[in-house]
Amino acid sequence: MELFLMSLTTGILVGGIYALVALGWVLIYKCSGVLNLAMGELTLIGGYVALTFYQMGFPFVLSVVCTLLIGIALGVLTERIFLDKLIGEPILAVIMVTVGLSFFFRGIVEFIWGTDTRVFTPAVFSIKPISIGFLKVSPVYLWSFILAIVLLIVFVAFFKYTRWGLSMQATADDETAALSLGVSARFVYAAAWAIAFMSAGVGGALLGNINGINISVGSLGLLVLPAVVLGGLNSVPGAIVGGIIIGVLQNLSGTYLDVYFPGGVKETMPFAFMAVFLLFKPYGLWGWERIERV
Amino acid sequence: MSTVWLPCGDYHQNYATDQGWWQTRFIKTKMILLLGVLFIGIPLFTSEYWMSVATMIGYTSMGALGVQLLIGYSGLITLGHSAFIAVGAYTSTLLVLQFPWPQLILDWGLAYPTSIIIAALVAGIWSVLFGLPCAKVKGFYLILTTMAAQFITVDFVITQYVSQIGGRGHAFSLPPGTIKIGPWVIDTEIEIYYLMAILLTGLVAIMANLLRSRVGRAWVAIRDNDIAAETLGINIVWYKLLAFFAAGFMGGIAGAFWVSNTAALSPEHFTWFWSLWLVGVILIGGVGSIHGVIFGSAFMVIIMELLQWAVIPLSQYYPQLLINFAYIKDSAFGLAICAFLIYEPNGLAYRWWQVKNYFNLWPFSY
Repeated sequence: MELFLMSLTTGILVGGIYALVALGWVLIYKCSGVLNLAMGELTLIGGYVALTFYQMGFPFVLSVVCTLLIGIALGVLTERIFLDKLIGEPILAVIMVTVGLSFFFRGIVEFIWGTDTRVFTPAVFSIKPISIGFLKVSPVYLWSFILAIVLLIVFVAFFKYTRWGLSMQATADDETAALSLGVSARFVYAAAWAIAFMSAGVGGALLGNINGINISVGSLGLLVLPAVVLGGLNSVPGAIVGGIIIGVLQNLSGTYLDVYFPGGVKETMPFAFMAVFLLFKPYGLWGWERIERV
Repeated sequence: MSTVWLPCGDYHQNYATDQGWWQTRFIKTKMILLLGVLFIGIPLFTSEYWMSVATMIGYTSMGALGVQLLIGYSGLITLGHSAFIAVGAYTSTLLVLQFPWPQLILDWGLAYPTSIIIAALVAGIWSVLFGLPCAKVKGFYLILTTMAAQFITVDFVITQYVSQIGGRGHAFSLPPGTIKIGPWVIDTEIEIYYLMAILLTGLVAIMANLLRSRVGRAWVAIRDNDIAAETLGINIVWYKLLAFFAAGFMGGIAGAFWVSNTAALSPEHFTWFWSLWLVGVILIGGVGSIHGVIFGSAFMVIIMELLQWAVIPLSQYYPQLLINFAYIKDSAFGLAICAFLIYEPNGLAYRWWQVKNYFNLWPFSY
């Protein structure tokens, strides 16, 4: 029982990070209709950038802030250089451009930072577990979760209360109507990519704190895809719930199924679960059902 | 109608001539010449190095043909095709290594050919298994199920379980002389090349024939508009699964061929990267054309070879380049895909078509 609760809490806490990255994904999809397969590499870039700043002697919070700023710059650049020209192209073209981007980014990251695992030294969070009631939680997970939740709240508040956020919502809802009301769609797309880079960057920085950072953080970032599919592609609460579900699922399967299927069950389980889940609920939990007309 | 070549514009008087393979004597001569180059010219006049490059082009084309069938002709986007190539490769290897073949079959050298066919069937069935969700989902959700196929098959089942068979650990290696077709042992560059050429020609012929049959027309109808196709009486689930089977079948053959090329097998040959690479190949070559597959693979393989040549002299001044070559390759591939999709969305096949059209009307165009 205690084991169960432990893996459950760890799952929820890690799921918070996934939820943050998944939010960035859903945002791009809602605003510009781009299905982004480069999310893993965005996470990777964020992790390495934060690590570089931290290694240069910045405090962790400040290096996360710097990661956010660099994320904005990279996001706007990516959108302007690559995605801007593809508005209105078929879905395969857009997806494959993001695939191309993911190769490009991964190559660059490996070229600059190499493939060895790097850790944040000195460790940002202490190793000594914190007890909450009878549960023992490693502080990395707890603080990551708290940071992720704070950022989630900031993002959601941004959408609800600021002018930019409202214009993004409007574009997501109906692009033509938003354009006629004077919202600049190009600005919104750029902002969506900037936010995606930011959320993925923070996610990467936090994930990098857990196990160190190497190329496999990119495949952790890829786990947002099952998360958003579970939640439904165009639902923000769905992304958050989906992220947490994936985190829990991953940890529970790691705890219980690893005995029967030794090896990579932890990495594969989310995808397997997703494939089966799609058979029963093809649009995820809260995705819009597409009604097709000929 | 001239029997030598078609006048400008297509004048077909009935359906059979429109669909015919050898429409004019010119095309017939051209194709026979092409076969001559493939089977006699290249082996006779090129060095072993270029033959191995040609073999690589052939292997890439065989893999990409299945992807082309799924994406270009049936509209089912797949990002997990190397899983099926892996299934083919592993089935073939395990059959050759572990199956108790009767001595007679071993003597006649039938073990490897039989294993190719079985590998293709197994890969096809495995592909259908992961194609099942296409009955309910499409678009991005289907992409994700194919990705699931990749991760479940290669990263989990093959790496963790299949690779352990025989207790050799990570990689299989085939002892020399096991890959034998009839009296020939396939171990030199030229024999591998010939095996590739025969298999590739066969697959292209099969695919071209399928596409001008009822099945192919049904696939194209589903690609263009699946609801309209359904109202025309096409059983779309059946035909989509058939597309998955055919693509898996071709992937299985490609995988079984790969075994003869490397004589060793490890899950690292079939990563997600390779699936994406195959999709990139058909995008660069041109979606929805068979010669686009060949153009795309030739382009990608040759560009990578050239990149390698460029890196070797540069590495004297900057030795890091040689170590990091794989990453440069990744980046170059990514940029190539992006550039093609943005500036040349119809691929190389479209350029080829333009050139052909120009010369069709040459020297007096309209």
